[in-house]
Amino acid sequence: MKVTLVKCPKCELPLYMETQDEFFYCSHCGTIHTRNGPKVERIPYEIADFRPDAQTDNRVYVPFWRLHTDFRIKSRDVKGGFFNKIGQALKGGDKGASIYIYVPASQMETAAFRYWSVNLTINNPRYSARTDFAGTPRMPATTTRDEAIELADFVAVTLEAEKPGTLQYLDYTLTVNEAKVVYLPFMSSRSGLHLAV
Amino acid sequence: MAEIKCPKCAGPVQFDAGTKFTKCSYCSSQIYIDRSGAGFYYAIPFTLSESDAVGTFKRWAGGSTKAKDLDRLAQVTKVTKKYFPVYMFRRDVDGREEVLLEPAGSTILPGLHRLKLPGGDLQIFDAQFNTSGAEMVQPDIAMTHYLSSLPGKAKEQSLVYFPIWELEYRFKGTDYQVVVDASSSEVFASVFPTRSSLAYLAVSTAGFIAFVAEGLLATVNLYAGAALMAITVAAVFASSLYVARRL
Amino acid sequence: MSGQLSVGLNCPSCGGAISVSEGESSLNCRYCGSTLYIEGDNGVNTVAFKNKLDRDAAIKATKAWWRKGFKARDLKSAGAITEVYPIYLPFWSIGTRVAGWVCGYEEKTTTDSKGNTRTEREYKEEMVLMDLSFSEIACDPGDLGIRSLRNFNGEASFEDMDMIPSFESTTSRDDAMAHARADAMARGRASARIPNITFESLHVLVRKLSMIYYPVWVARYTYQDRMYIATVDGVTGQMLSGRAPGDPLYQSLAVTAGTSLGGLAAAGGIIAAFTFQSEIGIAGVILGLIVLGGTYWFFRHGSEIIEGDFADRKQLASLKKGQLGSLLGGARI
Repeated sequence: MKVTLVKCPKCELPLYMETQDEFFYCSHCGTIHTRNGPKVERIPYEIADFRPDAQTDNRVYVPFWRLHTDFRIKSRDVKGGFFNKIGQALKGGDKGASIYIYVPASQMETAAFRYWSVNLTINNPRYSARTDFAGTPRMPATTTRDEAIELADFVAVTLEAEKPGTLQYLDYTLTVNEAKVVYLPFMSSRSGLHLAV
Repeated sequence: MAEIKCPKCAGPVQFDAGTKFTKCSYCSSQIYIDRSGAGFYYAIPFTLSESDAVGTFKRWAGGSTKAKDLDRLAQVTKVTKKYFPVYMFRRDVDGREEVLLEPAGSTILPGLHRLKLPGGDLQIFDAQFNTSGAEMVQPDIAMTHYLSSLPGKAKEQSLVYFPIWELEYRFKGTDYQVVVDASSSEVFASVFPTRSSLAYLAVSTAGFIAFVAEGLLATVNLYAGAALMAITVAAVFASSLYVARRL
Repeated sequence: MSGQLSVGLNCPSCGGAISVSEGESSLNCRYCGSTLYIEGDNGVNTVAFKNKLDRDAAIKATKAWWRKGFKARDLKSAGAITEVYPIYLPFWSIGTRVAGWVCGYEEKTTTDSKGNTRTEREYKEEMVLMDLSFSEIACDPGDLGIRSLRNFNGEASFEDMDMIPSFESTTSRDDAMAHARADAMARGRASARIPNITFESLHVLVRKLSMIYYPVWVARYTYQDRMYIATVDGVTGQMLSGRAPGDPLYQSLAVTAGTSLGGLAAAGGIIAAFTFQSEIGIAGVILGLIVLGGTYWFFRHGSEIIEGDFADRKQLASLKKGQLGSLLGGARI
C-alpha cells in the first residue's frame, strides 16, 4: 500500500480538492483524470452553461457520460404494435442509428437514473459550453467508463423496448466511438433535480 | 497479539490477526500492516471442551441418517485433542483476490474431502499462545514449497492451526473415526453406520394405499369405509410411532 | 521474505499524520489540503454492529425457541443450557444494481364450455432495474447454520470488538463479488416473471462493497447427553439457526395425517377423474402424493429439527425434491 500525492497529469501541479471525488479536477489547468492503481487516465469533458435566467442558489453540476454510439440492429422480433409496423414499412425499416447516449456518472436512485438516462438520450440537451465551473459545486462521480458502456447498452435496449409492440428478440451491436463526460447544470430542490440549460 | 515497531517513533505497537490499519499508542500515527512479505502463524482457540466434543458427537450420531441409537450404543474409545495445520494464501491473481488453502501436513483428516479452514477467532501463534495441552500436528510441507508455485502476487500468507477433537468409537464390532471441529462444532466423518429407510417407507406407503382403497370403498359403502379408516389411523399411528422410536 | 511489515501513513506533501478508513481510495489531507490517492491493497470498508443483547436475553430467546415447532416435548424440562457467548461473524455485504430487459412469453391454456382447449401465448417485455443487497459469510460457517445476513441495519460501533471474539475473514473479496453478480443476475431475471425467455440483456454493477462484523450469540445446550447449538441475532434478538431434538410422537402424527389426508385426496381425485374432468382428478392425485411425500420426509428425518443454513439440511432438502419428483413422475406413467 502506498499513499501518493495526486498531481495533475498535464501541468504536474498537486491538487487541492474540496470534496472526495473519483474524478480528479485540476483547478489550475482544468484537466480531469481518474486513477486505477498506478494507471492514470485523462477524461475528456465539457461543462454546460446554466441558462441565463437560472437562479443562483441550489446550483449543482451533475456529471454524465455522453457516449457517441452506433446502435445497429441486425434483426428484431416485435409482436403486436400495428402502428409501429406501418411506421417501419413507410420508413423502409429501422436498422438503427448513430446516437448519443447519456448515462449519469454520479450515484442516483433507480428511478432518477432511468428518467435522466432515457430522457437525455431521446432529447439530447442543447447547451453552450464554458471552460470552468465558476465555483458551482459538482456531484462526485462514481461511474467508470466501462460501467457507463454497460449502462449504455441498457439505455439502447430501452429505446427499442419502449417502442409500440412487445419486443421478443433483438440482435444488435452497440459500438462506442467516443466517451466524454458532460457536466450538466441542475437546480437541486426538495422535489429533485431540474435541468437548467 | 503480535508486535511491530512504529515506523515513525519506533515505539512498540501491538496488533491483532485481522488488523490492517492500526494506531501507534505513543505518537498516534496511523500504520498500515503489510503482510505481503511475511509469513504469519495463527491459531484458533478451542471453544469446545472434551465433554462438549463428545456431546456434539452424540448429537451427530443421533441424526436421522445414522444407525438407530448410534448415540447410545457407540462406545467412544479414544479422544484426542489436536491442532491441525493448514496454509492459507491470499494472492492477487491478475487483479483478482484469491484465497487458497493448501495442506501443511501430509495427513488428511477423515471426512474432510475438501481442505477447509473452519471459521474462528484467529490469534497470533507465538510463545505466549496457550495450546491448552493439545497435540500440535507438525507441518511437514514448508510454506516456501507453495510460494514458488502459486499464481499471482502475495498479499498474505499464513499457517493456521485449527482445533479439533479426534474421536474413535466402536459400534457393533467395527471401529470408526470422526473429527469434531472445536471452533464451530462441525462434525466430519467419511464412513459411519447408516440407517435403513425401509421401515419408514413401508409404513407410509402401506398407509397411503390403504386410505386410497378405503376412500374408494366409502363411496360404495360409507360405514364400512369409515370403520376401516378408523382402524387404519390407529394402525398407522401405532406402527409409525414404533418405527420412529425403535427403527 | 523481504519487505517491511509496516507503513506509516503520512501526507507525502506536508508530513502530517493522515487517517485512512479501510476501503477509501482517496482523501484530502486535513492539514495542507492536498488530495491523496491510496494505491494498492487499501482493504474494504469495515463496519461492526453494536451488540444489543445480553446473556439473559440470549438464553430467553433460546428457551422460547425450544417451545416452538415440532421439537421434543420435554426439551424445556430436559434441555440444559451449558454455555452462552457472543461472537462477531464477518460478512461481505455487497450492493449491486441490475439493469436490463427480459423478453419472452407465457403460455396460457384455457378450456371453453365445449371442452376445447386452446393454448395462447401472452407476449411480455419487462424492464429490470433495481438495487439489491447481497451478503455472504466471509469465513467458513462450520456448524453455525448461518450463511447470509437477514438484517443490514444496526448501530455501527467498534466498541465491542475488543470484548467479543471475532471470527476472521478467510474468503476472497472477488469471489464474494462474483457471487453477488450471479445473485443479482438471477434475481433480476426472476423479477421479470417470464417463464419462456426469448431475449435477455442484463447488466450488473457493483455499487458498494463492505465487510460487516455482525454480533451473534451462540448457545450450547444438552439434551440426553447430546450437545446442540443454536444462534441468536445480537442486534434483533431473533433466532438465526439451531438444531434441536425432534419428537417421535410428532413424527408419527405427521405420517398418520399425511397418509390419511393424502390417501383420501388421491381417492377423491380418482373418483373425480372418472366422473367429471380429468384435470381435477389428476390434480387431486398429485396433491395427495405431495402431502404424502412431505409428511414422509418429516417422519423419516424429523428426529432432529434443523433451522437455518446448514450443509446437511441442504442435502436433505435436495433429497426430498428428488424423491417427490420420482413420486410425481411415477404417478404420471
